[in-house]
Amino acid sequence: MKPPKMNSWPILAANIAAALAVPIVAHDGYIIQLLNIAILNAIVVLGLNFVTGWAGQINFGQAAFYGLGAYTTAIATKAGLPWITTPFLSVIVVMAASLMLGLPTMRLRTYYLAMTTIGFGEIIRLIIVHWEPVTGGTSGLRAIPGISIFGFGPQGQIQHYYLLIAVLLLAILIAARVRHSVLGRAMIATRDSEIAAEQSGVDTVRTKLLAFMIGAVYAGLAGCLYASSIRFISPDSFSGTQAILLMTMLIVGGMGSIAGCIIGAVALTILPEALRFLGQWYLVLYGLGVIAVIVLAPGGLASLASLSQARRASVH
Amino acid sequence: MNPEPIITARGVTRRFGGLVALDGIDLDVPRGVVQAIIGPNGSGKTTLLNALSGASHADTGSIRVGGHEIFRLKPYRIARLGLARTFQNIRIFENLSVIENVKVAAACNSPTSLFNILTANARHRHSEADIDRNAREALEIVGLAHRANDRATQLPYAQQRLLEIARALASKPNVLLLDEPAAGMNMTESMTLLDTIARLKNSGITILLVEHNVRLVMGISDRVTVLDFGKKIAEGAPSEVQRNPLVIEAYLGRRHRHA
Repeated sequence: MKPPKMNSWPILAANIAAALAVPIVAHDGYIIQLLNIAILNAIVVLGLNFVTGWAGQINFGQAAFYGLGAYTTAIATKAGLPWITTPFLSVIVVMAASLMLGLPTMRLRTYYLAMTTIGFGEIIRLIIVHWEPVTGGTSGLRAIPGISIFGFGPQGQIQHYYLLIAVLLLAILIAARVRHSVLGRAMIATRDSEIAAEQSGVDTVRTKLLAFMIGAVYAGLAGCLYASSIRFISPDSFSGTQAILLMTMLIVGGMGSIAGCIIGAVALTILPEALRFLGQWYLVLYGLGVIAVIVLAPGGLASLASLSQARRASVH
Repeated sequence: MNPEPIITARGVTRRFGGLVALDGIDLDVPRGVVQAIIGPNGSGKTTLLNALSGASHADTGSIRVGGHEIFRLKPYRIARLGLARTFQNIRIFENLSVIENVKVAAACNSPTSLFNILTANARHRHSEADIDRNAREALEIVGLAHRANDRATQLPYAQQRLLEIARALASKPNVLLLDEPAAGMNMTESMTLLDTIARLKNSGITILLVEHNVRLVMGISDRVTVLDFGKKIAEGAPSEVQRNPLVIEAYLGRRHRHA
């Protein structure tokens, strides 16, 4: 949410370099697979940030859009459609769904969207679980065809990793571009004071709807890539619990901060695995950790970095 | 006085439950004047401003701004028709910088599409440059240009009020509604504000202001409208209104009774 700073480019470049070097250090397929899921989650959380972080509307439907994209892709490719059609199909499906949900609710207050999207998530989950012949029910869909564009596609987890890093970079670039445009400013203005935004000429209903739909498209595309790079999907990955986890990633990372979305998504995807040896104690630690971040750094983990930067700047 | 007023309101009525906050108000604001709405607490000043700007619609009546009927129009449409406002309780965008606050309104007249934003094409760059220029001009007018890149919340209270005025100006309004612009300002700040209002008037903007501080208002206003219990009780030049027995009764009479 801060104004752009010239010195953010070296930091970005360093992070990209570090991300590109990861597979050289980590040969373990399991770790790369985990990172791939973390990147996909980061894209979904970046999408959530448009509507929740910037436009200030609480959205618990993000996991359902993620799932819609994934199932659309899995069903389409298993039915024999070429992979290249799936990003488009996924986008069409989530845009239609988000438009149908958003049009009636965006005129109302924040919590109506929260309630509507919780209901929507549950409907999507029930459809997935019960429409067994098509969705595979609770056991999910396996052996989903991989990414292939006119016969070319990434092979193995490391190539997938690089592809997903590239998509994440594009997602970041688009988010940054929207943030520093008429639309991004209108979103934050809508969150900070809906009435002042309106009186400044901002069509707040349209702004909220656009934020919601852009977020849904991010989730839908991430779902598409999830299905065709992990090659296995089940309803658990897109449940209400997942919706809350995505919201937690956004809050812990830092609402409204692009860096925060990535930090939050990566941290909360990897930590449960890294702390698996704790068994059930992990949940206790997780709860305490979330409370600690919210109390000690209400702006999220990303705000810690900028705080220490500001402190260093004031010393020099 | 110009033949056609820029604001013509007829029979504007607003009820909150059993309370009649505005009771059939007629209001004419001629082009290019500074007109003040005064009245005791709870007389309906802010309610009238909210009805004019669309923030909280009137129940019945007709409101024309620059020839357009705006009754029950959405606030953003009214803003785009050239009516801007500030708020009694400051409502700046806390998560935006000072210049970004102003840019939100400066975008009022620069429609753009998602396609232009995503491709950052020439049209997008052109409109962003326009917005930036308008926003900087507006900050210049209220004397906040040097704080453009600060966070809006870092500004002291009086400057946040000025930021609201800059934001309102950035949409290039014909009419500017100011809701208690001097509230919380000290003497020097109020004087600077009066000076700014006078300059805005000279640039051709019609100003309608609600103010609690009657003395402050009398010096800069061409016309004064007095409300009491949701009714218009007097209207005219400051000197006439000051002598009006109804006005004296509304202000002084009640004050004596309470004292």
